[in-house]
Amino acid sequence: MRGSRGGRERDPGVEEILRGRRGEGPISRKAPGPVAWFDVRSMTTGHLAFSIHRITGIGIVFYLYLHLAVLSMLLGGEDAWSGFLELATTPLFLGLDVILVFGLLVHGLNGTRLALVGSGFVADHQKALFWSGMAFGAILLLYAALHVFTAGD
Amino acid sequence: MTRGSPHVLIVGGGGTGGALAHDLALRGVRVTLVERGEFTSGTTGRHHGLLHSGARYAVNDAESAVECIEENTLLRRIAPGSFEENDGLFVGVTDEDMAYLPGFLEGCEATGIPTQVLQPAEALRLEPMLSPDLKVAVRVPDATMDAMRMPLRFFATAKANGADLLNWVDVADLELAGGTVSGARVRDLVTGRTTRIGADIVVNATGPWSEQVASMAGVDVPIRPSPGVMLAVRGRLTNMVINRLHASGDGDIVVPQRALSVVGTSSWFVEDPDDLGVPADHVQRMIDEGSILVPAVRHAEFRAAWSAARPLIGSREDADSGRELSRTFKTIDHAVDDGVEGFVTITGGKGTTLRGMAEVCADVVCRKLGIDTPCSTRDTVLLPHTAAYAA
Amino acid sequence: MTTKGGSTRRLLLHRYRRGDAEPHIEEHDVPADEGTTVLAALRWIQLHRDPSLGLRHSCFHASCGTCGVRVNGREHLACVTMLADHEGTIAVDPIANLPVSHDVVVDMQPFFARFPDQHPIVRASEPLPHADATDAADGIDEHERFEDCIECGLCLSACPIAATDATYLGPAALAYAQRLLEEPRGTDREAILDWADQVNAAWGCHAAFECTEACPSDVRPAQRIMALRRELRRRRRRQGREVPEPENGTARP
Repeated sequence: MRGSRGGRERDPGVEEILRGRRGEGPISRKAPGPVAWFDVRSMTTGHLAFSIHRITGIGIVFYLYLHLAVLSMLLGGEDAWSGFLELATTPLFLGLDVILVFGLLVHGLNGTRLALVGSGFVADHQKALFWSGMAFGAILLLYAALHVFTAGD
Repeated sequence: MTRGSPHVLIVGGGGTGGALAHDLALRGVRVTLVERGEFTSGTTGRHHGLLHSGARYAVNDAESAVECIEENTLLRRIAPGSFEENDGLFVGVTDEDMAYLPGFLEGCEATGIPTQVLQPAEALRLEPMLSPDLKVAVRVPDATMDAMRMPLRFFATAKANGADLLNWVDVADLELAGGTVSGARVRDLVTGRTTRIGADIVVNATGPWSEQVASMAGVDVPIRPSPGVMLAVRGRLTNMVINRLHASGDGDIVVPQRALSVVGTSSWFVEDPDDLGVPADHVQRMIDEGSILVPAVRHAEFRAAWSAARPLIGSREDADSGRELSRTFKTIDHAVDDGVEGFVTITGGKGTTLRGMAEVCADVVCRKLGIDTPCSTRDTVLLPHTAAYAA
Repeated sequence: MTTKGGSTRRLLLHRYRRGDAEPHIEEHDVPADEGTTVLAALRWIQLHRDPSLGLRHSCFHASCGTCGVRVNGREHLACVTMLADHEGTIAVDPIANLPVSHDVVVDMQPFFARFPDQHPIVRASEPLPHADATDAADGIDEHERFEDCIECGLCLSACPIAATDATYLGPAALAYAQRLLEEPRGTDREAILDWADQVNAAWGCHAAFECTEACPSDVRPAQRIMALRRELRRRRRRQGREVPEPENGTARP
């Protein structure tokens, strides 16, 4: 603790100590930003939801660009589009579709939770809201996956 | 003599050191305080947070009682917002307690401590968690403080007034030049480097460590570190401080601290104030005695148990258990007592009397330095404790 | 400290001196029994191995908030955290998102710098169990008690937003502001709401709730931040305000 002393001299030893402490020490840090999002070991529920929300959010944005790129194939005419549709009905692609639905469900359901909690209602039940939301999402995902893989059969 | 205005080096950053830095800074004296740990980490921060009415000393230690009630009143004025001003109760449960009552009331009257005798029903209305077997309760102006944050206000104000308060600086040795203490060799624990601080007067404000520091100057001070155990349980069982209406004994006080209740205390002697231990039988005694006053203590969830050392004034030949020694405080000018110039010890006392101790010591220090500015700590409202952390 | 029926625990201690290129980890084997706290173990090291070890503590009973550390990565008050509750080696590090002073001691100045400039309040105590609050004796209308928050900084350490955004004022300061709204006791309500109505204040929280998990004093800062937002929205509806930008993008002094 250094006081203001209105111009009076400090003892040289005191001056030396204060000089040695000048500035700030290094900031104590856990893992940095996006790396920390994946370290789920010591996360509690709310933190897990926060990380998942960011990861799925980025994923959805990435998908948006992908989707626009795919749609632009329509400009290439019927042949180009049919070629894409063949690819799009392969099991691998259908699997990716299911992953997309998973991301949308998680982000949407958690987003609803965030809207409720962030408004100051039900903040005390945020954990229950998350897990019940995810459970509901799991049911919807199962339903969606079944339809994705069996539609048209 | 150092260049320029006189420089006082205070060794010890407990409540006493902080209050002394504040007093001297107000008098325009150049002050540096060194503390080897965090401020109040030695003993001051560990007590249960009682702002003493002095009633505990009203019968056997009138000097301490008067000091307490005066400082109690004063501190509420200069540190507003730092106290839970809910008063305290001295609760009588047994016939022996009742026998203590008349002498207690007389002692309080004689020492200026206001009292109000309450019948059990009234006491239970105020404090429903009290033992239903209580026979009488006497209301006194006890209050509760945060044991660290209230003293920290002295540090905050001293710093704002120009004092240099250096925590994490350990005194390795005192420097003597021909029978005069001229400074200290210190180590900064932040950087690991050793340096020397020169001073016209070094004040030993190290509480239970007073003897250790005094020996660096080749003098002896009659301080016996006397620890006591305290126990914190979960649950704010009372809002008022609850004391047992008897002569001092173990576990005879229950103090609310936020959402906890602190039961204290016990007493024994140690040689090394750094190594107190927490005797399990003492902790059990806190539970047993505390639940006589507040039965819920017995089954309340454990939070913490710890020891804190009182700096008791008294030589090795004095009374056996710590309690019989006085809780008053003492300023020792070693030039007078031991022929060592430039060295003063301030010791003894209680958390409640920090300002008063500092005033007496600052008077001695200023007299030695030929400074005649009077004390103004009685009327100076202290800054909030958060100011101690300002850049 | 006793070792009756006890064992030895290995601590991995963060050591740092100002001026070091980087911190290093020191191993210490410490005698412990089932009641040994992290703080007791650290003080044993200080007493028996290295007196220069920097440790912050004061009250020993979770009231002063000075002994905050990270034990195996999670925030705890060292004085009430038992070694026995952790398996294996015990890593002790300083709390995060604040500058390290030395060893496991952090500089709390930036923590307190985030708080609104209103003095600490002593608040009304809750009625005790079984108490009839209307029967207060004369002279005591209302019992007072200190705020729960002990300014330990564990919440700021646990907050993932504070980890990446130095301007975010953080859970403790925001929870404190919300307490002032609940019980003003002479503080300036509008000034507090102005202070809170910033992107780096009440709107900076992303609901990770780690602060509430880490808090040793049941302050529930995350819930208080959400309550603060409710107040701010209420005020906005009343006044039709826009969000003002923070003045210079840095944490408020």
